[in-house]
Amino acid sequence: MKALDVAYKDLLRHTRSLFVWVMVFGAPLLIAGLIYFAFSGLGSGGGQLQLPVTRVQVANLDQPGSQLGGFAAGQVLLQFLQDPDLANLLQVTAAADEASARQAVDRQVADVAMIIPADLSTALAGPGKTASIQLYQDPTLTIGPAIVKGLIDGFVDGFSGSHIASAVLAEQFQAHGLPTDARTVQTVAMQYADWAQAVGESRASGQHPAIVWQAPPRKATSTNPLADLAGKILAGQLIFFSFYTAAATAQSIITEEEQGTLARAFTTPTPRTTILAGKFLAVLLLVLGQIVVLATVSSLLFGVRWGQLPSVTAAIVALVTAATGFGVFLMSFAKSTRQAGLLSGIILTVLGMAGGLFSVGVETLPKAFAALSKMTPHGWALQAWKLSLAGAGLDELLLPAGVLVLFGAGFFTAGALMFRRRLA
Amino acid sequence: MPNGIAIEVRDLHKNYGQVQAVRGVNFDVQAGEIFSLLGPNGAGKTTTISMLSCLLEPTQGDARIWGHSIRSDSMAVKRVIGVVPQEVAVYPDLSASENLNFWGKMYGLRGAVLRQRVQEVLDIVGLSDHQKGAVSKFSGGMKRRLNIGVGLLPKPQVLFLDEPTVGIDPQSRRSILDQVKEFNRQGMTILYTTHYMEEAQELSNHIAILDHGALIAYGTHQELVRIIGELDRIELTINAEAERVLGTWRATEGVRQASAEDGKITLLVDDSNLVLPRLFDAAILAGVRVTGIQIQETNLEAVFLHLTGRALRD
Repeated sequence: MKALDVAYKDLLRHTRSLFVWVMVFGAPLLIAGLIYFAFSGLGSGGGQLQLPVTRVQVANLDQPGSQLGGFAAGQVLLQFLQDPDLANLLQVTAAADEASARQAVDRQVADVAMIIPADLSTALAGPGKTASIQLYQDPTLTIGPAIVKGLIDGFVDGFSGSHIASAVLAEQFQAHGLPTDARTVQTVAMQYADWAQAVGESRASGQHPAIVWQAPPRKATSTNPLADLAGKILAGQLIFFSFYTAAATAQSIITEEEQGTLARAFTTPTPRTTILAGKFLAVLLLVLGQIVVLATVSSLLFGVRWGQLPSVTAAIVALVTAATGFGVFLMSFAKSTRQAGLLSGIILTVLGMAGGLFSVGVETLPKAFAALSKMTPHGWALQAWKLSLAGAGLDELLLPAGVLVLFGAGFFTAGALMFRRRLA
Repeated sequence: MPNGIAIEVRDLHKNYGQVQAVRGVNFDVQAGEIFSLLGPNGAGKTTTISMLSCLLEPTQGDARIWGHSIRSDSMAVKRVIGVVPQEVAVYPDLSASENLNFWGKMYGLRGAVLRQRVQEVLDIVGLSDHQKGAVSKFSGGMKRRLNIGVGLLPKPQVLFLDEPTVGIDPQSRRSILDQVKEFNRQGMTILYTTHYMEEAQELSNHIAILDHGALIAYGTHQELVRIIGELDRIELTINAEAERVLGTWRATEGVRQASAEDGKITLLVDDSNLVLPRLFDAAILAGVRVTGIQIQETNLEAVFLHLTGRALRD
């Protein structure tokens, strides 16, 4: 009961501190908010991250022969580019001829003109033939034309196999001393082209006929990439500031030691362990409150979906345990409040950096950095929160959450023992 | 509590590494009396009171408070004592009422009993009208009064007051001294530490003088003054640095002790009528002029000077 009295008193004092309000709630929200709004400048409408739509004029000169069995590569390519899924990237219109397509770019009515050659179907379906798709672009643009080129590359790659299949078949005929059967080669090339076309269509709808994708069942978290980014950034801030809050709150032991109130408390008929337990409890409760408030507010303000409730709960419990334990441990080394401030500032910033808290948006970090982050509680905390953000189930969070709890328990035990010894 | 002894101190030692902060202190405090530990800064007063209030563990020796050993039964000791530390040890960001409520809970008070006691203490220390305001806005005297109030919360049998008047204005000091007398009139045993000899003199039934961690004198005020015997205490001021005559005067016939502080030279002499002319002669020879002279009643300051060769406030 007395431990609760100590914890209540500490929390009451913290609520009256402007520093606590700023550092516990204000700063992390402000930083995440600034980054969120900085990124939202790239997008428009409902916070969706959008690139400018590239206007493409297509002059389809492709003339598929009757021997191709109705296969019309130019038309397939045009339909592929006009797929509704690409509407937020491309605005594709058919031009009457090559000249009008080029003129549209010159008059800046279009960003890219695409000239599909007359022999595209023949080239894609038959062996030993080539054809070139011409792109004519506004020289001031980079991203839009690059996207168009990338899409065409993907499309053409799908048909390259028919070339290879035709060539191999022709070689096999020759190797076995047989006359080349043009009809058979043509049929094989067409079958391959049909398959490539089917793959292309399937890919457009997110499927692949030869590959079955599997992943642990996850609930969709967010379809808003900006909210996802804000979520990751805020997770980093949340972790950094929760460790900071724990250290700053645990620092009150040293503050009270200096102010004489701790010594006075030790002259009352309350065991020292009870007093210390109360102070540790205050640290834990404040960190818990901070995380819950920040998670809730960021969800409301930035639309961050933190994940499934059991996963978020596990991430919170693990982070609270680790932050509290580490805060107590860190402060047990400090001899004065001045030293405590320096100690927590330096160590928590370094661990935060090593743990990857300030590079959460960077997906491709060196392996050494990833390994380094796993040596810090911050790195494990970030992993747990990222998993939760991605909609992972509780079973996937068990490892990082478990490691965090072990980290926290170990640090707490060591810190508490050091404080007990010091204040005995 | 055996034989009416509230505090029984036996061979109390406290060492910090090689430093002996308290060296074999012994004394008894009768129940219901005010007992002062008098000594200059660094004499070991706070260390002694910290051991008696179970904050520090003695290196050697023991003490019994209300019959309970500070070594083997510290929780029982803590249930009969109230402690008022030298520094104001309350929470500045809480109100007076919130502070007393918290500290009351630490003393095991709850519910209606706690509320009633908090109100009583606020009345005793004269802070009823300021109970809601943050302590950080209080004057130094008000903070001191609240500091004392916390020690009164458990209605202690024994109250430890560690230099409660340091750094406050004369009016607040007077008020605190009057309160201490009132607590004692109500039956509270008080252990009071101070380096102001006039406080010890005014308040105490018995006084122990501490110096360099050792108890050098112990008794009532009259008993202590009697240590000096028939010596006179003379306070002189001169128009030059004290060092110019101090050595000569110290060696003058009839002078027992001499010390200088704040431009004043204090001497303990056998007979002021005989010694004063010799002091004047020595001053003339040293080229120094005596600008003031005062022959004072022998007091605890003189006792300390006699015992240590130093002024109490050195």
